[in-house]
Amino acid sequence: MMKTKMKTKTKTISLVSSFRDPGGFLFTREGVLYRQVNQVCAEDYTRLMDSGLYEKLVKAGLLIPHTESDTQPADDKRAFKVLCPEVVPFISYPYEWSFGQLQDAALVTLSIQKRALRLGMSLKDASAYNIQFYKGKPVLIDTLSFEIYKEGEPWVGYRQFCQHFLAPLALMAYRDVRLSQLLRVYIDGVPLDIASQLLPGRTRWNLGLSPHIHLHARAQKHFADVSVNDARGKRKMSKEALLGLIESLRSSIRKLEWKPGGTEWADYYSDNNYTGSAFEHKKVLVGDWLSKLAPKIIWDLGANTGVFSRIAAETGAYVISSDIDPAAVEANYRLVKESNQGDLLPLVLDLTNPSPSLGWENRERDSFLQRGPADVVLALALVHHLAISNNVPLERVAEFLSGCGEWLIVEFVPKSDSQVQKLLRSRVDIFKEYTHSGFESAFGQWFTIQASSLVRDSERWLFLMRRK
Amino acid sequence: MIWLYLDPGSGSFLIQLLIASAAGLVIVFATSWRKIKRLFSKNKAETEESNDEDENEDENEDD
Repeated sequence: MMKTKMKTKTKTISLVSSFRDPGGFLFTREGVLYRQVNQVCAEDYTRLMDSGLYEKLVKAGLLIPHTESDTQPADDKRAFKVLCPEVVPFISYPYEWSFGQLQDAALVTLSIQKRALRLGMSLKDASAYNIQFYKGKPVLIDTLSFEIYKEGEPWVGYRQFCQHFLAPLALMAYRDVRLSQLLRVYIDGVPLDIASQLLPGRTRWNLGLSPHIHLHARAQKHFADVSVNDARGKRKMSKEALLGLIESLRSSIRKLEWKPGGTEWADYYSDNNYTGSAFEHKKVLVGDWLSKLAPKIIWDLGANTGVFSRIAAETGAYVISSDIDPAAVEANYRLVKESNQGDLLPLVLDLTNPSPSLGWENRERDSFLQRGPADVVLALALVHHLAISNNVPLERVAEFLSGCGEWLIVEFVPKSDSQVQKLLRSRVDIFKEYTHSGFESAFGQWFTIQASSLVRDSERWLFLMRRK
Repeated sequence: MIWLYLDPGSGSFLIQLLIASAAGLVIVFATSWRKIKRLFSKNKAETEESNDEDENEDENEDD
């Protein structure tokens, strides 16, 4: 015991996610997250704290709070200070967000920039990865994103803002919501020439998209070989002009909207509404089992609009509520906003192809599984989709779920169930082992079954299992 | 010469200068228009109040 403690005490790990900024970096020591502020960033950081901007932003819930720490810097030679930021319980990425989540993250970025300019500072980048959902709302987690504003200077983060926020949101709104996945391919946001080509022609007449995307893309191509200083000449940009730019971006972002297949959101909730005694019994069972486990992190996989995620959150845990359907996730996020729910994070996730590790050395963005494990995994009305629609053998489903967390609450939906019949209608039934006993033996390879119950007025079973 | 850790892109710099000068004009115009309106407004106090509200809304836009 003593030996391990000694080992971890000196173990400092720099996090790869923050290596690009010379102003500082993140590291962990003894499991605590720190941010080192380098000397080069000392003036900017001091201004952030002394100008009142930090306090204002934290009060408005736009910036992650931190305390200054006495701990030894990870890199003594360059260090100015070490900060201990509040920890976001789950790091998520823009390609996992619904339309509304990305839109809110964009608006928060602009709101911060506007407030910063008023107090003589400016955001030196506008990366969507600097925004995280914390207590239900998007906040800036990079305290070192601020620099002292120099009168006459344009916004350095403008290109990045258009690529990380405006372009993907416009594509989602005007073309297809699934184009958010371009962010998974392009780690520095959607290239504007691609966005310009993919957007419908009528957006060329759109007051916001025409200059910020179409014209912007053409200008990038035209001036590709010209240095910034040559292109700019002696042109200056007044603070009013800069605020005008921010306002123009804000109105462009706010005007974008997305609805699934022309339906109203209210219809979406009622269409997906569960009723009946079976459903009520399922809620009781899940609630009872969860309350005995007292988990800190729960992953509700295939959560739809998050009915069971909300039951899970009642245990005091932080709940990741994922679904493959962007409309369900959007509906879920709208509920989170309406009810000010701070302990539930809706995410778009395809379990047959979960987010991989990405970026430099494949280490800049963690894969979904690397961000685990959860204490409890909920897999309700999920396994038949993986096993029957996607031909994943039951033991492989079990193996995957055992990698997600220690405890599992899983539902078995038999072939006789109308939902499974619906899936089987369009394919040959090659799923001989998809039976109650086949399910138990497949999951038994990875888990021990702790409890099971037939769901009242149905043929469905609920299991509580613990990883072996 | 300015030192930047992010490449702002030459085209991106120029295009924002262009957009910003137009957008900046709109803001200057809107502010002046508000002032003119206030000048000619019969109920001065009322107009001032609504202006204050605008600013408050702006302050709390994402709170």
